[in-house]
Amino acid sequence: MCLQNFPCQEVERHNKPEVELKTSSELILNPILICRNEAEKCLIETSINSLRISLKVRQADELENILTKKFLRFLSMRAEAFQVLRRKPVPGYDISFLITNYHCEDMQKSKLIDFIVQFMEDIDKEISELKMSVNTRGRLVAAEFLKQFI
Amino acid sequence: MAGVDDFVEADNAEAIISRIEHKSRKIESLLKQGRPVESLKTALEGSPPNTRDERCKSANWIVVHRAIMAIKDFDALFSSLDPEYYDILMKYLYRGLSTGDRPTCDQCLRIHERLTERAGLGCILRTLADTVNTV
Repeated sequence: MCLQNFPCQEVERHNKPEVELKTSSELILNPILICRNEAEKCLIETSINSLRISLKVRQADELENILTKKFLRFLSMRAEAFQVLRRKPVPGYDISFLITNYHCEDMQKSKLIDFIVQFMEDIDKEISELKMSVNTRGRLVAAEFLKQFI
Repeated sequence: MAGVDDFVEADNAEAIISRIEHKSRKIESLLKQGRPVESLKTALEGSPPNTRDERCKSANWIVVHRAIMAIKDFDALFSSLDPEYYDILMKYLYRGLSTGDRPTCDQCLRIHERLTERAGLGCILRTLADTVNTV
């Protein structure tokens, strides 16, 4: 991950993440799309001063679909606290990270990468826990409700 | 200048596509003989890096894909493949990974792991950075 400061070429005194704008082709590198299978994929786009990682999380059924969407929306709304998280995921993906040269200056690169890996592992764990708790609650409620008919 | 390039492209495209078809026939025969490593080498050799024509690239990709899926023995592959083909193979691997089709991705990930051990991280960097010779 080599990101360096690069002021905007078109507008004076502006400094924008080039991967988001894609104005000049000489500043962006080839994007890489890695699919583990049909449901999970990871898109990595880089440019001279920024790097965007978009991930699509595996969703086995409708319940996981809803849980993932709500949970990741909850996290994205609080993107300020995470700094490297993007407020809206790139279309077609569930969550996106935007790392700029400023982040690299403030934080260690290896730690940033470890953070992202850890984050995704935690998200997977959370979602499976949420799914289990929803199913348990549903079962308990249904059992209580149907007791009166016995 | 751009006009001249277009003419060159049109002629070359037909020539390249016919070369690729010829190559794919050779590869089919090699695969029938049970030599997947040679077939992959043949597939990578004629890669046309300088055409912009999507059809040539797709045609070549289909041929290389066929050869990649047939490989079972990875050690033999790397002992016989020249280092100059590592970069091209890596580019094709990433193209395979972007397809999303499970057997392709599994195979590509396996080869990718071995290729990175062999060729190092520079190989991956060159796939990212090389915008001129794309696959």
